[in-house]
Amino acid sequence: MDAWWQCEVPYPFVPQEVLNAADSVRASLPSRYCDPKVAADLFEEVIDEFLLCDDLGLNVLAVEHHAGINSLLGANPLLVGILARQTRQVRILSLGTLISLRKDPVRVAEEYATADVISRGRLEIGFVKSGGTEMASNNANPVNNIERYWEAIDLVKKALSHQDGPFRWEGKHFTHRHVNIWPRPWQKPHPRMWSATGDPETAAEVGRRGMVHVLVLRGPEGTKRAYAAHRKARAEAGLPKVTTDNFAYAALGYVGDTDEEGLRVGSKLLWFLHTSLKSAPQYSRFLPGSAPPEAAPQIYRSAPRPGAGTGVMSAGQNAARLTSISTEQAMAQGILFAGNPDSVYKQVMEFYDKVGGFGHLSLVGRSGFMTHAESEKGIRLFSKEVLPRLREIKPVTVD
Amino acid sequence: MSGIDLEVVRRGAGRPVVLLHGMQNVDPRAPFLDMLEEHAEIIAPSHPGFGRSARPAGFETIYDLLHFYLDFLEELPHDKITLMGLSFGGWLAAELAVTCRHRLAGLVLVDAFGIKVSDRETQDILDVFNTAPAEVQRRSWHDPATWAPDLDARSDEELVIRARNWESLCLYGWNPYMYNPQLKRWLSRITVPTLVVWGASDGIVKPSYGRAYAGLIPGSRFELIERAGHHPEIEQARAFVDTVVKFLNR
Repeated sequence: MDAWWQCEVPYPFVPQEVLNAADSVRASLPSRYCDPKVAADLFEEVIDEFLLCDDLGLNVLAVEHHAGINSLLGANPLLVGILARQTRQVRILSLGTLISLRKDPVRVAEEYATADVISRGRLEIGFVKSGGTEMASNNANPVNNIERYWEAIDLVKKALSHQDGPFRWEGKHFTHRHVNIWPRPWQKPHPRMWSATGDPETAAEVGRRGMVHVLVLRGPEGTKRAYAAHRKARAEAGLPKVTTDNFAYAALGYVGDTDEEGLRVGSKLLWFLHTSLKSAPQYSRFLPGSAPPEAAPQIYRSAPRPGAGTGVMSAGQNAARLTSISTEQAMAQGILFAGNPDSVYKQVMEFYDKVGGFGHLSLVGRSGFMTHAESEKGIRLFSKEVLPRLREIKPVTVD
Repeated sequence: MSGIDLEVVRRGAGRPVVLLHGMQNVDPRAPFLDMLEEHAEIIAPSHPGFGRSARPAGFETIYDLLHFYLDFLEELPHDKITLMGLSFGGWLAAELAVTCRHRLAGLVLVDAFGIKVSDRETQDILDVFNTAPAEVQRRSWHDPATWAPDLDARSDEELVIRARNWESLCLYGWNPYMYNPQLKRWLSRITVPTLVVWGASDGIVKPSYGRAYAGLIPGSRFELIERAGHHPEIEQARAFVDTVVKFLNR
């Protein structure tokens, strides 16, 4: 198993009464609450933490979110560019430029190719579908988001791999009369691609395309169901079986010297769930396209009627569930791995067994009010005490 | 119609009025239909993707809707019809009147979308997808306590239709938000008698926008309906129908 470390560079220093009064802590919170001097310190600390990961051989993962306390990483390519140059050995996963929100996937391909060359072939390219608050921040129509997602990925992939001079793209959502990017990527035909999704339809397409399939904070049932949809779609399409290397899971995680320290510091990560997910109804349950119309009876009423439900939660419903979760619940559901090195290893492997195995673990290792020192301690302990054991777990073919 | 399974509410007899609905499809139980059907034959289709009307794959622009309704008007047996558009449907009605004036006996625009009036930093039409739902309701009605829909009381089927309407509206009207930048230039082509009706308390799109709209259509008449918001046909059905019938009887 391989492991990755991520920090979304949250900005928790907004007065609680402001957050309580706001209908959303993402998309619409005024930027006057973000002090650029504090933001600069945060970036400096977190980039140093990424470089510590590089020293210790722990891969790094850079996300993107817009205009909220949950993350200052509105411009993923900038961080990826810094990591491409400043790290020297680990792999770098961009998860990712929010591809269905960008008007010009060709430019995204240029950014990725450049980072792959600067890092001499250490880049991995991840795609995420984007949540409701991102639609407002990026002027992106939420209804045909998935169509744009796949068409943009197709165009990025072709732009990265095509080496024979200009080609033309006249798609439904993107047109480009002349695509010919320099430099071409270091890796051939292009860096490995990942996709984050929990819904079965998208999971099936991720499977057919052979991308690395990552689930974020989904817990055992949702993760297992998505992996299963991925494998089933491959089998139905007559494609070869894949190994656990095609599956990834991202959770909050912290390793302390003792269980007490691991839980005490690790529970600070729950700020991400408790405080930074708050999203106004127009960005969540009333956002067009965020769930099929047939789901409206469950999500439009102030409380769902008994017996309603399709069994598959939308990303918005998943977020609502996470907002009030306790440390114990989060640990029981594989949303938080925390404790001493032995405990964390055991928790990860229990989750591994529950979902049928995965080849990549990503730790959301710093969030909320966790300090730089605490974060660095967690990175060191994980890298030295847990990562070598995880590396022993080799990819296996899964039925 | 044009290969699309279309839901159409048909009421009354007499002068034909094609009614193009707004952000939600027309409720056949609406009292204004009962009042209006005494004076006109009402033909009220649900736009493709709204109500129970199908929306084919790839049918997702105002261009599609415009050409669909050109087909629709050509198929009607009547020589000429009066076209009435509410809110979002007012945008479609204005586009059709620019394109197809020879089939129209008259045009009625009610709290209509479709054009850009103010400067680039002033929003003419409230962004219903980017505004808290409670605020959208507050600004939709003169008397929201009476008229704002209670979603908890709606049936499953009504909520599914509502979500479907919302999704289709977003697809058609997301960007530019609820207007065609080129439409204003061509409104002068509307040479049929035109009535522009506006709810005096409309907080979705203000009466001043309606007056500007009317000013761009040669010879049009502007009428305010007092104590009504974005839906005068619902909040003040009698005053609304009286105004429309007066126009029909001109």
